[in-house]
Amino acid sequence: MRRRARHVLLFITVFLAWGGLFEAALRQWGSSEAAPAFQGLFTGDPLIGYRLNPGARTRFSTSEFDTNIAINHQGVRDDQEIGSKRAQETRIAVLGDSLVLSVQVPFETTFTEQLERALNNGRGDRETSYRVINAGVQGYGPVEELLFFRQVVRALQPDVVLVTVFVGNDAEEALGSRSKLSSGQTQAFRDSLMTRMRRVVRRSMVLQVLRLRVLAATDRFRTRSGPPEPPLQTYAARPAPRIADGIALTRDVLSQLAAEARNAGARTGIILMPARFQIDDTDYGHLREIVAQAGGELVRDAATERFAAALGDLELPVIDLLPVLRQAKRGPGLFFDENVHLTPRGHEVVSQALVPFVRDRLLTRH
Amino acid sequence: MVFNSLHFLWFFVVVYAVYRLLPHRGQNWLLLISSYYFYAAWDWRFLGLLAASTMVDFTAGRLLESAATERWRRAYVAMSLGFNLTLLAFFKYFNFFADSLQALLATFGVPLDFVTLRVLLPVGISFYTFVTMSYVIDVYRREIPATRNLVDFAVFVAYFPHLVAGPILRAARLLPQIETPRRVTREQVRDGLWLIAWGFFQKIFIADNVAPLANMIFDPAGASHAGINVLLGVYAFALQIYGDFAGYSNIARGTSKLMGIELIENFRFPYLVRSPQEFWRHWHISLSTWLRDYLYIPLGGNRGTSGRTQRNLLITMLLGGLWHGAAWTFVLWGAYHGILLSLYRSAERIDAVRRWLTARSSLAHGTSWFVMFHLTCYGWLIFRARSVAQIRDLTAAVLTAFQPSALDVSGLLVPLVLYATPLLLVHAMEARADDLLVVPKLSPIVRYSAYAATFFLTMLFGNFGGSEFIYFQF
Repeated sequence: MRRRARHVLLFITVFLAWGGLFEAALRQWGSSEAAPAFQGLFTGDPLIGYRLNPGARTRFSTSEFDTNIAINHQGVRDDQEIGSKRAQETRIAVLGDSLVLSVQVPFETTFTEQLERALNNGRGDRETSYRVINAGVQGYGPVEELLFFRQVVRALQPDVVLVTVFVGNDAEEALGSRSKLSSGQTQAFRDSLMTRMRRVVRRSMVLQVLRLRVLAATDRFRTRSGPPEPPLQTYAARPAPRIADGIALTRDVLSQLAAEARNAGARTGIILMPARFQIDDTDYGHLREIVAQAGGELVRDAATERFAAALGDLELPVIDLLPVLRQAKRGPGLFFDENVHLTPRGHEVVSQALVPFVRDRLLTRH
Repeated sequence: MVFNSLHFLWFFVVVYAVYRLLPHRGQNWLLLISSYYFYAAWDWRFLGLLAASTMVDFTAGRLLESAATERWRRAYVAMSLGFNLTLLAFFKYFNFFADSLQALLATFGVPLDFVTLRVLLPVGISFYTFVTMSYVIDVYRREIPATRNLVDFAVFVAYFPHLVAGPILRAARLLPQIETPRRVTREQVRDGLWLIAWGFFQKIFIADNVAPLANMIFDPAGASHAGINVLLGVYAFALQIYGDFAGYSNIARGTSKLMGIELIENFRFPYLVRSPQEFWRHWHISLSTWLRDYLYIPLGGNRGTSGRTQRNLLITMLLGGLWHGAAWTFVLWGAYHGILLSLYRSAERIDAVRRWLTARSSLAHGTSWFVMFHLTCYGWLIFRARSVAQIRDLTAAVLTAFQPSALDVSGLLVPLVLYATPLLLVHAMEARADDLLVVPKLSPIVRYSAYAATFFLTMLFGNFGGSEFIYFQF
């Protein structure tokens, strides 16, 4: 019995040692968001689950980009602190997910920074200045954005709050985080525990791959008990009922956020951000085939149209970036090849579209 | 149902759990039902074929034993063989011969389009017809008694670990294990689990990862490549087909061991050999011994003149090639190996060559291994090629446009070396001990390291979107 226990212990030790060896090797030679340097950008939050880690700095390299990332002590991406607000200063906070945070490009290239430069260059008098705050956080959906506004952004005294709705997944993200809204601290703590566990898995490159293997296997197994659900449900010709629920929840959350911003003296605008395949024809063809193989039908602009229709009656200024990006798609790529985020040129196109939108519809007092 | 699917995992877990609880007769019934379920999961319509083959050969065996005269015995064996060969010819070769006939007549300006029947190939038919034929021939030769129990015989034919891709089992080895109560030993469980893990590694980590490297060269036909990259693509295919088929055989052996039934080794370091004879003693051993015992020796074997021996070798290998598939490239591959065997046999008569082949020096060993490995690889080029024209083009690329400077280091060489290295390390250990199951017998720390490395390499770097096993199509 004791001999068997020794063998079991030895087996576990050897197994863990090999796991550690592969982890180290992958961290050394593989680049992904599981790398500890990248994960150091985030810290736990009892209400939201996680947020950017104040004061964190890292360098994130993949085969497509090599970026220095700094989080200031206010907890947003910026290499400078956001001090107290000056009398003639106008602050614009841009909420959103990874498409706003944009770890793929240098900070000065992000559309938020380009927007700030453009507004300052175009100002009528020298007294006024504009500060655009990049308040995007990787993995956030509408619910987290509302909570992040309450926790972090409101204190930065924005005059304008721009909420970036990623039409590709925000309906599902909102639904998945609904409990964070209605619950008190207990539920949030439970979520936070789950989040912490998820983050342990996300921090380990080995565990991440194993998790994906298990998910792939169980997904395949699930398909035996019923027909598989095609991916990209927000774009489906006949989407699952949860998509309508998710869009409705997004609408409610944005309405709440706009009301709270108004109470804090800020105006709110909405940016509708399309997915890469809505711009990239090759990507679209590929995804349409995948969805068709799974028995579904992909409608390229369905998600944009659904969000636009749902958010229309909020009476908030809305800019849809789909026509802008589609018009600009000739020339260098707007999105990276191996990830779905904007390239420096994509950021440039977005900032150029945002300048008149912000200036004419949000900064002008009607 | 394929071994590398979750469906099989659940199937086996349930079957095995029940199996361990049942008495011997119950186990045999369970094996029969589960084997038929395993086969039906691919296409239930061909279950009738499997059952018919089983009934015909069981009856033939019983009739052979009770036959009053040699004449009747010959008649029974002829009927059984006729039935099996007709089955095989119709389902496996009908399309091939019909298409070939059409093509031949078309070259003479005679259009022929009466043959429109498209016959679907029942999976595993080449394997189970060979299994049942060997049984009937062995009974006819009085090497084994005919079994009296239909359930045991049906399990012998349909036993799911070997049903669709071998090994091609002999009744003398498998039937006694089915007929008598089995005891699963601790060593069998240990070795069985390792064989399953190693088999999955060979399939998912090696075969399915190097397949795209081979495809780069062979697909699409007509693309031009530098000779050096063709060579690497052929090495990749050599690794792929070995990992795929040996992997399947190991999973089959491992699952069978867990149930207390021993299957034969089907591969034994086939790429470390130094002559064609040795190759066929180490590659797909169950098929090559079948061809030897039921075709080559009955044709006369090496008895008689050198010319007759060479003829027998050529016929055996031609049919062996055709067994692999209904395509002219397989026939060519068989002919190529037949010619290789004949040439080596002739060359061995020359003193200098014989001395070289049997020499113990590292140089002689290394050279003869190098030559044989590349002859084997050229065989794989013929085997994998999509057409005779592609064989010609790829051969020309290697011989006349080698272009070492065009070596694709990152796309071909590095991945090939990375995927081959773990296999070479394990083979080095196995070859040194001359034991394919040396890993489970190593010291605990080395053994557990091998288990952990196999697990992590398979899970982290395996290609889980891979294909079915290559030998399913045969």
